[in-house]
Amino acid sequence: MSERPARRWDANWPAAAVFLAPNFIGFLCFTLFPVLLSFAMAFHYWTLRPHEKASFVGLRNFTDVLGVRALDEPHYGVLALYMLCVAALIAGLIGALLSNVHQWRGTRTGGALICLTGAAMVFGALGGSAEHHTGVFAFWFNQGTQGIFFGGILALICGVAIVGREDAEWDFGIGLGPGLLIALAVFGFWSLGGPMWAAYEPRDARFWYYFYNTLFLMMGLPLAVTGALGLALLLNHDLPLGPWRHRAPGALVCAGLALLCIVLGFGLGWENIGLFAGLIWLFAALGFLFNIVTFRTIFYLPQFTSGVAVYILWKSLYRPETGPVNMGLEAGFNAIGLALVPPSWLAEIAWAKPAILVMGMWIFIGGQNMLLYLAALSNVPQELLDASLVDGASRWQRFRHVTWPQLAPTTFFITVVSVIGGLQGGFEQARVMTQGGPAGSTTALSYYIYNKMFQDLDMGYAAAISWVLFAFIFVATALNWRFGRDQEVD
Amino acid sequence: MKLPFDNTSTRIRFVALGLLGFMLAMPFIWMVGASFKSRAEIEAGGIHIVPEEAHAENYPVLFGQQPEPVTGEKLELKFGRWFFNSIFIAFANTLIQVLTSALAAFAFARLEWRGRDSVFLLYLATMMIPGLTLMIPNFQVMVWLGFLNTYHGLIIPASFSAFGTFLLRQFMLGIPKAMDEAAYIDGASKWQTFTDVILPLARPGLIALALITFIFQYQQFFWPLIMLNDQQFFPLPVGLLELDSTYGQQTELIMAAATITVTPLVVLFVIFQKFLVRGIQLGGVKG
Repeated sequence: MSERPARRWDANWPAAAVFLAPNFIGFLCFTLFPVLLSFAMAFHYWTLRPHEKASFVGLRNFTDVLGVRALDEPHYGVLALYMLCVAALIAGLIGALLSNVHQWRGTRTGGALICLTGAAMVFGALGGSAEHHTGVFAFWFNQGTQGIFFGGILALICGVAIVGREDAEWDFGIGLGPGLLIALAVFGFWSLGGPMWAAYEPRDARFWYYFYNTLFLMMGLPLAVTGALGLALLLNHDLPLGPWRHRAPGALVCAGLALLCIVLGFGLGWENIGLFAGLIWLFAALGFLFNIVTFRTIFYLPQFTSGVAVYILWKSLYRPETGPVNMGLEAGFNAIGLALVPPSWLAEIAWAKPAILVMGMWIFIGGQNMLLYLAALSNVPQELLDASLVDGASRWQRFRHVTWPQLAPTTFFITVVSVIGGLQGGFEQARVMTQGGPAGSTTALSYYIYNKMFQDLDMGYAAAISWVLFAFIFVATALNWRFGRDQEVD
Repeated sequence: MKLPFDNTSTRIRFVALGLLGFMLAMPFIWMVGASFKSRAEIEAGGIHIVPEEAHAENYPVLFGQQPEPVTGEKLELKFGRWFFNSIFIAFANTLIQVLTSALAAFAFARLEWRGRDSVFLLYLATMMIPGLTLMIPNFQVMVWLGFLNTYHGLIIPASFSAFGTFLLRQFMLGIPKAMDEAAYIDGASKWQTFTDVILPLARPGLIALALITFIFQYQQFFWPLIMLNDQQFFPLPVGLLELDSTYGQQTELIMAAATITVTPLVVLFVIFQKFLVRGIQLGGVKG
């Protein structure tokens, strides 16, 4: 572009300015200026209380969020070693970003290490919960165990995926340095943990708890994305229902059966069974009429309508005494003859987060991710699939070696967006369904920021937390970018 | 007649899709069913979907036209007003946002000027900043401007979006350059090129952006929640929260309200699904 004469660019200036002006003024007032203001706020004691002036406090807001405080007399040695571990972790991560991580990540040795760690975490969690064993659900009562258990499962999945790569080798790549640094840091955190927590405590323990909550609520994402891919694969081709004159009678028959079921059901007094059967036949009729579009519509509706109305709906579904979820569970338990009492979901510390997680799966499984995968699937060149079919590839091999690599950019995009959304999310559920409770167990970071703003009226602190959150998001995106890029190269 | 289900994999797909769709639709079906139940039936529990006896009066009760059957008093709620607010705010936002985004997208996609790429990069960079980080200072700005508890406080800040500009720019880049060059040769001004050539060609993109914006604004919760405490300005989501905190025990009323809130979205989606799906796929894949 630089070879173009500069004059032509300048000649367009007035017109461009006129076209851009309305948007740009709004952008300045409500995006650019607020960003700067927010940055300024984070370094001030800034309150919404009237008659109190903002005062500059330097880094105090940030040290209050992230820092630690000595319990009795400070043990500077422990603290220094711990900070060294933090520095090693940061250096390792940066090194991992800059060096050729691809090779380190790709080796089976790395995968096996991750597998071992995951298995240790799962066994540790199960063993730890067995100590205070009080019943079938005892395992769930311990918050920390839940986290370790799911973290371990996640590590196991990642490890198996890496070990299972066919092109990977059992060797140590050049990227081992950063990996070792990270491992050392983790070992340091592990072994220093005891003395560290005996001598120091986090200044804002709630921040870390809410950060853990946020991460916990994000754990449904991998499953939801996998589910979205599965649904997209199911929806990818039209059902071979034939032309109109074949479909119309089918639709009519199904609609007739639907009507019959409902009429019979109501006539015989089995409303529920009649309605269920009728609805299923109705779906079948719609499927005959509109083919795959029917299912895409139904799958997409949860995310499309997700908002306060849907959260309120789920709050009612989860109601302990009269909600249909527990009614169904009780009926199920009675039917098998188990003397179990279903949990009270949103009102119970151990079950509130999993309950919200399940709702998130329901919302996200058929949502935008599925649509993006559908678009990507339709762009997979048919020649490639045909060629692999000629070469005698099985269905799984065709998916693994033809379709999946073609989907890599979409998977990467979805991962980045999901991580960004997940770290910022959780406000609406917390506000509408549980108000962050019980005992703060469903408070995500976004709800914490809201509380800091409107309960404590401490805008400066809220701004500081939001910048820390931004830093987390930035690191997560950068990691995704680096690893995702490698995936694309494969 | 040859039956369509002549192979096993099609049958399996059909059944799997049907079952999954049914499971995903269940909560909605329960919601509609519960909105027609009586208070007593809800409290009695049970897994009934169909009400034993249909109570359509939950809906008029919500709009304050009938007294509430259990306590016999009229609800102190402005549900109709909230419905209007929601539609009005979302509509105004959509109109302004599509307009400003289209103008800016034209400047970014079809005009060449010094510094264009740097300005666009600035737009892109701010898209990375979490909405929450912007909400805090924006609220302070609203306090300074005295916009709390007003319609314009809800409409103006939400009317400029980097995302809309980005989406339309991507769309306009796909229009062949020859189109506007031909218009310039015929003596059209830049404005005429914009209104008569580019806008009609970008119509699918405009419609997609309009729908996405409308739906997003209709569901918007955080911003109205912090900006408003006067009930008469509430949009539906905030109103629903208010309803839930006042009459939370009356599940049938809440479900009726949720049904009313969700219905316009379902209708919109069924009508415009082609545009919406394309818009989402476009905004996503090229992002």
